[in-house]
Amino acid sequence: MKLWGQMLWGHLSGLRGRQGGIWGWACSTWQSHQPQAGPLSASGLVKHWTAVFEKRGIPEARESSEYIVAHVLGAKTFQSLRPVLWTQPLTAQQLQGIQELCNLRLQRMPVQYILGEWDFQGLTLKMAPPVFIPRPETEELIEWILEEVAQRPQAVGAQGSPLILEVGCGSGAIALSLLSQLPESQVIAVDKKEAAISLTRENAQRLRLQGRIQTILLDVTIEDSWTHLLPWGPMDLIVSNPPYVFHKDMEQLAPEIRSYEDSVALDGGEKGMDIISHILTLAPQLLKASGSIFLEVDPRHPELVSSWLQSRPDLCLGLVAVRKDFCGRHVAGPKDHGGGKLLTSWQPGNGESKEGSGDNSYLPEAPSEHITFN
Amino acid sequence: MPLMSTWGWFRSPELLARICTKTQGFGLQEKLALLSPGMAAFMVQIAGKKDFPALLPLNENELEEQSVKGHGPGGQATNKTNNCVVLKHVPSGIVVKCHQTRSVNQNRKLARKILQEKVDVFYNGEKSAVYKERQEAQKKKQERKKRAKETLEKKKVLKELWESSKNVTEERTADSDRMYCTAYKE
Repeated sequence: MKLWGQMLWGHLSGLRGRQGGIWGWACSTWQSHQPQAGPLSASGLVKHWTAVFEKRGIPEARESSEYIVAHVLGAKTFQSLRPVLWTQPLTAQQLQGIQELCNLRLQRMPVQYILGEWDFQGLTLKMAPPVFIPRPETEELIEWILEEVAQRPQAVGAQGSPLILEVGCGSGAIALSLLSQLPESQVIAVDKKEAAISLTRENAQRLRLQGRIQTILLDVTIEDSWTHLLPWGPMDLIVSNPPYVFHKDMEQLAPEIRSYEDSVALDGGEKGMDIISHILTLAPQLLKASGSIFLEVDPRHPELVSSWLQSRPDLCLGLVAVRKDFCGRHVAGPKDHGGGKLLTSWQPGNGESKEGSGDNSYLPEAPSEHITFN
Repeated sequence: MPLMSTWGWFRSPELLARICTKTQGFGLQEKLALLSPGMAAFMVQIAGKKDFPALLPLNENELEEQSVKGHGPGGQATNKTNNCVVLKHVPSGIVVKCHQTRSVNQNRKLARKILQEKVDVFYNGEKSAVYKERQEAQKKKQERKKRAKETLEKKKVLKELWESSKNVTEERTADSDRMYCTAYKE
């Protein structure tokens, strides 16, 4: 009991500006209101840290404290904890763990790096700075690819066991979620950073998918570097969430992103098109005639890409479809680049115009089932 | 909670959360308890499929999903961790809030699954698949308890028999000694 008291004091005195007061209150509260959610219960701690984060201007104050507390208690989300655990007092060790992690959040570290892991398409992946954290919107890219592969396998060149190339694999989110949901597929995952290759390999091993993935350190913007991939080709699918942020927007990114994630994974150059154009250039050399390219891009890109492709008829690529993510927001103007991102698919043509083909329409899919409330 | 102010018709999050947790784990655990270890893996797949054979599929046009990432820029430009999904079935007014995982995609799927069950119960009441499953599970549970109790009683009886037969043997030995001596004396 005495040790508990000391640890408690140590914990509470670490909190800014709330020393003796909290101690006295917490002590009596805990003793007299044991069955309820006291301040040293999971719920109490979430409440406490939410207030601290809010005061310090930390975004997603409540979500951050919930994830951290849940993680220390062994759960992925606060809601998934057994309700009885919400009100039980925590151990000194748990309190200390929460304290340490919350201190990192005070330094604007992204929650995913704090926890060292995150979920994507049903997989739990290790996260480590500065490797790019997979975004929730990218999960829709996976859904789209899976739908296409299932419904029109010939359109993606996939005859049973698709060979997929991912450019810029990062933590391996896209590669591994495709591998896990397309049991016959194989993936070649490339990235120009060693840290990303290393993390992808580690995640592959954790998920026991290492047998079907080949990771290669490669910078596709270097001239002819793609020729190294020829021995494995031709591919059925090329997929990427390439850096697509417009360079001038980089400095407006939140501190979480600017200070912790690799800017190389984000900066797409002046019009955010640098890496996209390189991928589209190498695609015809590596893709089967029946193959497809799936990209995640900024909402401003489909038009830019369209006109870029028109200037490169030698590539024989046609813009097949554009799909909005479930945010469904349009580009509002130069400053506010909206909530939506457009997921685009290209199919290489055979030199003929793709306009005539039934698939080829600019499909800004109306997000009828997903309504955004302000 | 910010959500409370935006959504007047929203039910208490805690209540929803508990329902979410319960239903999520329900069914499968009950089934697994009945199976031998070897069968478990095989049956999990069947159990998963068996969960909703009779449930009406939800019509996406009748659903409203609150997109928590609908504000401001998305994608690479942001890092939002709020993956909670709020799903409303407009015709019945039932709302499900799901934050079981850290993957919004998974939460959306789970929310639909849970909503589907609730809608089924709402429209079909006692005839709903969920209700039937629960009844079945309860029945099996009661049967198991009954059998366990019977087995325990049998064991008790056997134990008593064994104990008493031990005593009887000892007494007989003493008696026969006496008889022998008596006979012998005479």
